[in-house]
Amino acid sequence: MEEEEEGSGEEQQRFSYRQRLKAAVHYTVGCLCEEVASDRGMPFSKQTIAAISELTFRQCETFAKDLEMFARHAKRSTINTEDVKLLARRSNSLLKYITEKTEELAQFNTEQKAKKKKKLEDDNTKSVVPAEAAAAEKDGS
Amino acid sequence: MAETMAESYNRESEPTTRTLLRRVLDTADTRTPRRRRSARVSAQKALLETPSSRRLSSPTKMNVRRRSHRARSIGRLAHVHTSGNLEEQTPRTLLKNILLTAPESSIMMPESVVKPVPTPQVVQSSRRESSRGSLELQLPELEPPTTLALGLLAPGRRKQRLRLSVFQQGMDQGLPLSQEPRGNASASSLTSSLNLTFATPLQPQSVQRPGLARRPPTRRAVDVGAFLQDLRDTSLALASPGDSLRTPVATLQMDTVLEDTQPFSQPLVGRSPSVYHSLPCTEAEDAERAVSHRTQSSGPRLQNHNPRKPAQLLAAKAKKVDALAVSFPNNSSAISGEDGVEPLQDGVGEEAEERMEEGLSVSKVMDTTGTQGSVRTEKSKGYREMTEAVEAKEPEGSSGDEDISGRTASTELASSTTEFLQARRPQFLEPAPPPSTAVLSSEPLEPLSTRLPPRARTPGPRPRQDPHKTGLSHYVKLFSFYSKMPMEKAALEMVEKCLDKYFQHLCDDLEVFAAHAGRKTVRPEDLELLMRRQGLVNDQVSLHVLVERHLPLEYRQLLIPCAFSGNSVFPAQ
Repeated sequence: MEEEEEGSGEEQQRFSYRQRLKAAVHYTVGCLCEEVASDRGMPFSKQTIAAISELTFRQCETFAKDLEMFARHAKRSTINTEDVKLLARRSNSLLKYITEKTEELAQFNTEQKAKKKKKLEDDNTKSVVPAEAAAAEKDGS
Repeated sequence: MAETMAESYNRESEPTTRTLLRRVLDTADTRTPRRRRSARVSAQKALLETPSSRRLSSPTKMNVRRRSHRARSIGRLAHVHTSGNLEEQTPRTLLKNILLTAPESSIMMPESVVKPVPTPQVVQSSRRESSRGSLELQLPELEPPTTLALGLLAPGRRKQRLRLSVFQQGMDQGLPLSQEPRGNASASSLTSSLNLTFATPLQPQSVQRPGLARRPPTRRAVDVGAFLQDLRDTSLALASPGDSLRTPVATLQMDTVLEDTQPFSQPLVGRSPSVYHSLPCTEAEDAERAVSHRTQSSGPRLQNHNPRKPAQLLAAKAKKVDALAVSFPNNSSAISGEDGVEPLQDGVGEEAEERMEEGLSVSKVMDTTGTQGSVRTEKSKGYREMTEAVEAKEPEGSSGDEDISGRTASTELASSTTEFLQARRPQFLEPAPPPSTAVLSSEPLEPLSTRLPPRARTPGPRPRQDPHKTGLSHYVKLFSFYSKMPMEKAALEMVEKCLDKYFQHLCDDLEVFAAHAGRKTVRPEDLELLMRRQGLVNDQVSLHVLVERHLPLEYRQLLIPCAFSGNSVFPAQ
C-alpha cells in the first residue's frame, strides 16, 4: 500500500515535473516565435506555438534516447560531441553549425588549458624563486 | 498380452512402417483398457495386408506425417471397426486413428492436401464411379479391394510414378494413367483427389506463375509508322557508332529481358543465351538511336510503342528468321503507305533487328533496300495491295534483287527517306490492331516494356547506371506483384527511385555507425542500431524477436546463438 502510494506519488511528481518542463519549452518557443514574427512581420497563432512546443518536446525525448544509443554503440557511458554530430548528420546546415561550435569549443578549451598551464608554471616559478631566494639568503647569511 | 504378441509376430513376415508402428502400439506399455480391441483391429488389418505379395521395404521412420503419405485404403476398410476408439483421446488412439483415416496424399501431389480426412472405403468407391462418369475418364476396370490394397500398399513406387508434371497432365487430359497395372488404383485415388480439387480451382494455378495469371492480357496498339521510323533511324545510326556500345548494353539488356520472363527469378547476370542476345542488343540500340535522332515530339509516343514492338518481336522472333529480306523493303513501303498492316511490320521489325545484329553492312543493306523500296512505293500506287501481296510471303526473289542493288546505294538516300518519313509520321496516328502473327503472351513482356522507356531516355550514362538498377528492378517487380492494383509505369519508376534513395541512405547510415564505433566493417550491432532508429526494434520488441518472426531457420541459427551437440554454441558469443 505504501509502495503504491509512493509510486503514485512519484508518478504524480514526475508528471508535474514533465508539465513544468513542457511549460518551460512552451515559453521558450513562444519567445522565439515572437522574434521571428517581428522579423517577418507575420504573427503566429497560439495553436501553432503549442504545436511547435509539443513537437520540440517529443523530439527532445527521441534525441535523448538516440544519443544514449549512440554512446552505448561506441561503448561509452558518456554522451559525446561525436554522438551529437551523428545525430545531426541528417540536416547539412545543422551539422555544419554544430561542427563549427565544437571547433570553437575545442579551441576555447585548449586556450583555457594553455592559460591554466601558464598559471601553474608561473606559480611554480614563483615558488621556485622564493625558494631560491630563501636559499640564497641562507647562503648569503 | 501374449495373444497380441503372437499376432504381432505373425505379421512380421514383411515389415512395413505400418506394421512396425502397430507393433509398437501393441507391445508398448499402455494405460488404457481398450488396447485389446485395438489389437484385434490391427490383427484384422494385418490379415488384409498379408495377402499382398508386393511389399517394398519402406523407411522405418516413425514419423506420422511420412506415413500419411502412404496408401491408406486398407485403413478405410477397418475404419468402421475402429470407430469405437474415437471417443477416447489418448495419443495412442489418436495415432491409430491417423493411421487408419488419413487420406492418401503424396508429397508429389499438391492437390491432395485438399482432401478431407475421413473417407470410408464405401464412399470412395462410389465417388470413384461418379467421378469416372463426370470426368469421362478412361480408367481400367476397378479391381476388387484387395488388389486395390495391393496397389496402394506400394507407396514407394507410386511416389516415383506420380510426378507433378504427370499429375498436371492428368489434370489437363482427364487423367489417363496407364503406366502400370496398379495404375488404376493410383488413378482412382487421383480421380478422387481430382474430384476434390475441382472445388479449389485456384490451387493448380498456383503451380504456374501467379504473377502472370493476375495480369489481364492487355494489348496495346502499335504505331507502325513510328516503329519503322525507329528501325530506319537505328539502322542509320548503326553505321556510325560501331560495336563499342553494343556489348555492354547487350549484356545489361539481357538481364532485364531474362528477368522479365520470370518475375520471381533473380537477375541472371552471367547467362548468355543465344536466343535472346541479339534482340535485347538491338532493342537497346533502337531505343538509343531513336531518342538521339528524333527531333520531333513524337518521341514519347514512339517510346511507348518502341518497347512494345521489341517485346512482341522477342516472342515471335523464332518464326521470322527466313523471310527477313522479303518483308523489310515491302514493309517500308507499307510505312509510306497506310499503317494498316501491323503483322507484316512487326515481322519486318523482328527480322530487321535480327539482321542488324548480325552485321552493320547487312543492316545498311536493309536500310537502303528499305529506302529504295519506300521510294519506289511512293511513286507507285496501291500501297495496301503491295503490302498484302507481301504478306502472302513471297520468296526471296525480289529481296535478292534489292539486296544486290542496295549495296551500291548511299546513305544519303536513306537520310532523305528518314526525313521524309519523319514528315509523314504525323499521319500515322491511328493505332492498328495487334498483329495476328505476333500473337504472344504479352504478359511477360509488359514488364519489359514498362522498363524500357526509362532506359531509352538516358542513352549516355546508361551503361553506368544499369548495373545498379538491375538489382532494384527485381524489387520493383516484387512490389508490383504484391500491390493490389495494376501500377502505372511512372509509379513504378518512382518506386525504383525511392528504393534507390532508401538503400543509399541506409548504407550511408550503416557506414557512419560503423565509423562511430571506430570500426571499418559493418557488424550486426550497427544494423541493430539502425533498426532502433527506424523504430522496428524498441524496448518491447528486440532484434531476436524480429529474427525469429521473419527469418527462416537457416538464417536464424546464424544470428541467434544456438546450442548444438557437444556443448558447442554457434555462432560463438
